[in-house]
Amino acid sequence: MSAYAFYFATILIYAAVDAMACLALNVEFGFAGISNFGFIIFQSAGAYAAAVLSMPRAATSNGGFQSYILGWSLPWPLPWIGAAVVGGLLALPFVFLVGKRLRGDFAAVGLLVSAVLLNVLVKDFVPFLNGAAGISIVPAPFQSIWNPQGVAYQFAYGGVAIVLTILVYFLLRRITESPYGRSLRAMRDNDIVADSLGKNLRLNRTSMLVLGGAVAGLSGAILVGFISLWAPGAWGYAETIVFFAAIIVGGAGNHKGAILGAILVPVGFEEATRYIPPLANPTLVPSLQWVAIGLLIVLFLWFRPDGILPERRRILSRKPTAPPLPPSDDPDALIQIGNLEGLDFGHLLRLGEPTNDHRVILSTQGLSKSFNGVTVVEDVSIEIRQGRVTGMIGPNGAGKSTTLAMLAGTLPSSAGRIFLEGEDITAMSSHKRAQAGLVRTFQLASEFKKLTVMENLVSAIPNQSGDSFWGSLRGRRHWGSEDKANIERAEEVLEGFGLTQYANAYAGGLSGGQRRLVEIMRSLLAEPKVLLLDEPMAGVHPNLAHKIGDQLTRLSEGGMTILMVEHELAIMDAFCDPVIVLAEGRVLAEGTMAELRQMPEVVEAYLVG
Amino acid sequence: MDRISTTWPGVTAASRMRRRVTLLIALLAIITATVGLPGTKALAAPKFHGSLTIAAVAPFTGADAVLGPKYQTACLAASQAINLSGGILGKQVNCKVVDTRGDPADAVPAVRQMYATTSNLALVIGCTSDEASTVVPVLDAHKTVSFCMTGESEFDAIHFPYFFRLVPPDAADSVAMVKIAKNKGYKNIALAFGNDAGSQTFVQPALNAIKANGMTVVSNQTLDINATTFNTEAQAIVASHPDAIMMEALGAAGVAILQEVYQLNNNKMIPVIGTSAMIDPVFFSGITTAIGTQNFIKSFDADNGTVNFSGPAYPLYKKLVLAQAGKVKGVPSFPGLLTANGTVHLYDGINLAALAMVMSHSTVGSKYRADILKIAKGGPGATVVSTFAAGVRALKAGKTIQYFGVGGKYQFDKFQTAYGLFEDDQFNADGTTFSAGSLGLCTLVSCK
Amino acid sequence: MSSFGFGLMTAAVLAIATVGFTMQFAVTNVLNLAYGSIMINSAFVAYYANAHGVTAWASLPFGVATGAAASWALNRFVFTPFQRRNPAPITVVIVALGVDLIGTFGLQAIVGGSYVSYHQSQGHEYHIVGMFLSGLQLIILAICAVVLVTIHWLLRYTRLGKAMRATSANPNLARNSGVKTQFIISTTWLISGALCGLAGVVFAMNTGVFEATSAQLYIVLLLAAMFLGGPGEPYGAMFGALVIGLSTEISAAYVNPQYKEVIAFVALLGMLTFRPYGIFGSEKTL
Repeated sequence: MSAYAFYFATILIYAAVDAMACLALNVEFGFAGISNFGFIIFQSAGAYAAAVLSMPRAATSNGGFQSYILGWSLPWPLPWIGAAVVGGLLALPFVFLVGKRLRGDFAAVGLLVSAVLLNVLVKDFVPFLNGAAGISIVPAPFQSIWNPQGVAYQFAYGGVAIVLTILVYFLLRRITESPYGRSLRAMRDNDIVADSLGKNLRLNRTSMLVLGGAVAGLSGAILVGFISLWAPGAWGYAETIVFFAAIIVGGAGNHKGAILGAILVPVGFEEATRYIPPLANPTLVPSLQWVAIGLLIVLFLWFRPDGILPERRRILSRKPTAPPLPPSDDPDALIQIGNLEGLDFGHLLRLGEPTNDHRVILSTQGLSKSFNGVTVVEDVSIEIRQGRVTGMIGPNGAGKSTTLAMLAGTLPSSAGRIFLEGEDITAMSSHKRAQAGLVRTFQLASEFKKLTVMENLVSAIPNQSGDSFWGSLRGRRHWGSEDKANIERAEEVLEGFGLTQYANAYAGGLSGGQRRLVEIMRSLLAEPKVLLLDEPMAGVHPNLAHKIGDQLTRLSEGGMTILMVEHELAIMDAFCDPVIVLAEGRVLAEGTMAELRQMPEVVEAYLVG
Repeated sequence: MDRISTTWPGVTAASRMRRRVTLLIALLAIITATVGLPGTKALAAPKFHGSLTIAAVAPFTGADAVLGPKYQTACLAASQAINLSGGILGKQVNCKVVDTRGDPADAVPAVRQMYATTSNLALVIGCTSDEASTVVPVLDAHKTVSFCMTGESEFDAIHFPYFFRLVPPDAADSVAMVKIAKNKGYKNIALAFGNDAGSQTFVQPALNAIKANGMTVVSNQTLDINATTFNTEAQAIVASHPDAIMMEALGAAGVAILQEVYQLNNNKMIPVIGTSAMIDPVFFSGITTAIGTQNFIKSFDADNGTVNFSGPAYPLYKKLVLAQAGKVKGVPSFPGLLTANGTVHLYDGINLAALAMVMSHSTVGSKYRADILKIAKGGPGATVVSTFAAGVRALKAGKTIQYFGVGGKYQFDKFQTAYGLFEDDQFNADGTTFSAGSLGLCTLVSCK
Repeated sequence: MSSFGFGLMTAAVLAIATVGFTMQFAVTNVLNLAYGSIMINSAFVAYYANAHGVTAWASLPFGVATGAAASWALNRFVFTPFQRRNPAPITVVIVALGVDLIGTFGLQAIVGGSYVSYHQSQGHEYHIVGMFLSGLQLIILAICAVVLVTIHWLLRYTRLGKAMRATSANPNLARNSGVKTQFIISTTWLISGALCGLAGVVFAMNTGVFEATSAQLYIVLLLAAMFLGGPGEPYGAMFGALVIGLSTEISAAYVNPQYKEVIAFVALLGMLTFRPYGIFGSEKTL
């Protein structure tokens, strides 16, 4: 009887440790979109930390046959707390890999390589953590007064592990189900766009790496307290792949999925193979286990990419009474439903009293961009006036989008300066510019695919009190009512654009034109002072385009400044004054469309270009 | 969480320490002479009341999977001898396999599962350096007597009352290697040991012993066993002009380094002194393919534990081990097991424990463990026995006994480690080995 | 000087491998982490040909063919279908990792865990300006030189090479300009796969002994060499391989051979942090 109890307790403890690790990796990968291919080093750091904090000094312990740092003989729970701290701190060196500039897959291989490197270093530099032999005879908590091999102890240990896992679950859920969690998922779905809406990618990702690292570290501490040994062989980089397999199988972006994955893959799958008798070729079973892990990953990503328990769709809006129509580009349907004219954007967007003085609000001096010696934008000096809808036209490759990207900070400029309200913002990062009121849209589809339309809109609203790590920790009581108000505002905008039915539909499932509208709504809810629109009307029906244009005009009358890149000259004619013409990376002319039509060089540039 | 153990670099068991991987001295001539098992079938099956289980807790899959079958064979052979003599206190002895996959973290649930599914567990054998660190504390807490095949030095420092080992610690292996070098008159020694824990444990004792014997270390290379080339290390060794290279590097690394040394030394071999783990058929075939059989065997020695072929325990042992052919998977050659450390010493260990159970009239570890020490030590007037049957007879006659097994007599120190005789082994061209001379009884300090 | 020779050998094998790796990245934008598993599978196919009586050099084409076929199939039947769904680049990288496990351990399940070597003489040992090189190694160096010159000729002077470069620079533009991009991508995978297979065989020849998992960590050197020269840049890959090959072996001689690959790790992390588009690459390639 008690023998079964031991076995059961063991599985309980391993399940808790694996579940905790998978929860941590899931918050990084499934929510924040960081592919932490070096995840195992965080768990390992925690295990080592707990070991050396709880062990006596190396020289005096157990005859001194192992060498390691620290050896502080700290009582429980200090080694476990230390493990979480060390696991979290270990994330900080990786802050350089998770900024905006580095592609997610490049950062991932950077982390992978770091894991391999650290394993080599720890293994070969013996004085640090006893090298390849690892640290053994790690004391279990309270072992001097309570026999760690007793049944009661083991169940108590398993109980503590499970309680901690549950606490971690609630902690992580509190973070991910907040406005901050929404921002994390937005960042996961499209980091450049989230950045352009004022989300600080580097800070958010680092926060999640620290948080995930701390939880992983704690899981390592629990494991090492139980098995009493930690060595480089236990944390080969491939162990991370097992955790990834668990999350992919269970369901990324779903905490329960992570727990299910932990139970199915590292615990269930591994425990089940224990009952396979040894075969003639002794490497066969372990080899096939790895093959199976590889197959699990590939097959799940193909047949069930969202896992067994897919990410839950968050229903924010109670408004839609009918189920969403299938994605539609039928402009008439949209226009009839929409009540764009009735929208009071000034109120909704908190624009305040119109104070149109048409002063220069955004300007550049000698702005240039070259890629690898090829100049794309050269010496562009423009002035955008407050409260106007300025147009920007030019043939393909004229540098319009590049200029707009430099204004928004998406691309760094090669030379020249940019001023916003007289302040030099050339060196300011893009998310800071967005926070300062300089918001852009994108030429290509840029919705957050796995956020609902409502989430897409609300995620853009600036200064949400729940949209920070600490704000999210303070809980719904802190941000709930504000969030409700934000949702109501977004509902009104949505209604104006006639998309109420789609409020709770995934943005990724909409038609091209609908997604374009979502992006325009979202950029408006970002409450910009200056709105940079990159071909906003592409793919939108002309009738609707004109309605939107009218609204943009009204917004500018209400104090918003708009710079719009557009191919459609009719739009320019109707709404833009002045219009800047770019050709071959330079400013060719500026003026009203009527004036421009009189300029032969402009006509020629367009006809020839 | 390394529930999967493989030969993947960086994933393999924390400690790839295949201690005493002495595989193979295939005395083919002898086997051909020894066919069948005359006598065993003729005996009437004794009546048993109840049964006991001996568990071989060892790697049966993964990188060190060669180890488990040796122990399983020892268990089957010893239990067959015991059961033929009526079992232990009338109970039949069964063997059970517990696969640790050679992984310390994996071993814990495996052992827990063993306790959950084995109500009549009397003894554990195996526990290699791969898993001893995590398994021994669990076994000890359950007061389960264990005979472990680990050379790890932590067991020289901590006393686990139920832990016994019949093999010397790794440090004694190093001392024996230095003794070989001394016998051959080498002065300048190069060291080349893998960076795995099992190989690294030899380095410091070797350095100490080399110094104590007045020799010089001219080069000390640590080999990353996951690396694929060792140009720089080989170059450093060749440039230091050693008389001999002392080494242990498992897997492909051992072949790769020697091949590069050979090549950089203008296709000439430098004498090599290996650990007992280097007596390995896979290594042999790899290195002889790389540099040629004759080049290799004339310049290679390895220390190894001595098997007492002429002792009274050997004939029965040999018969029983060979009788297991076909019953154990993963053994390339049963004659090769006759001199395998694990098979020899665990066979002895099971006999020792079984006699202690008879002597104490109990199969409970806490009751019989003290009698293991008594039977090993003997004392004045003790009857020397070499089989379980003879021991039982002597005990029934009221005598004190001392066990003299296949591996000879066992003298335990205070950490319950037994030291043994070492010999200098060399390869024959067919991959079998022969003893080129005894090294005496090697301890942590010297060989006598 | 001897370490320069060792470095040259490491660089030669690495250059062949990295050029193939980076070409795959160039045309399909995938970090093919399964590259090492195809290398070692190719080496084993050549090994079995060798074990069945074909000389080691004559078995080389078997390895090359395996690499080409496996790489082409990998792109055609795994990466392309996944990419059609337009997932995040990381999804395909995770798939590649899964394929790597299947390839490596599928091989291990078949051939077992022990190591093998080709039946092949290392040849005479030559001392050339202080470098120690065996006859075998000199042949490998020669193969490397021929391959790199051929790749240079292919990229510079053939229609196919120009189409490959155009596809790599901007697939949409290339397609609109009449390049059959799908054909070009397939051909590139065949050629790069052949390089992968070749690299696998010469890697195994150079190391002497190898097992199913021997190339597992080779991906680190590949990545380091590729990022040093700029992802997707074949000439950068050659340069990166030379730098990584020489610097690892020279640092082994002066620091500690155990830590020789640390310099490759550090180079890779440094490049990722400061110039992820490589020393020569431009940021637009990202």
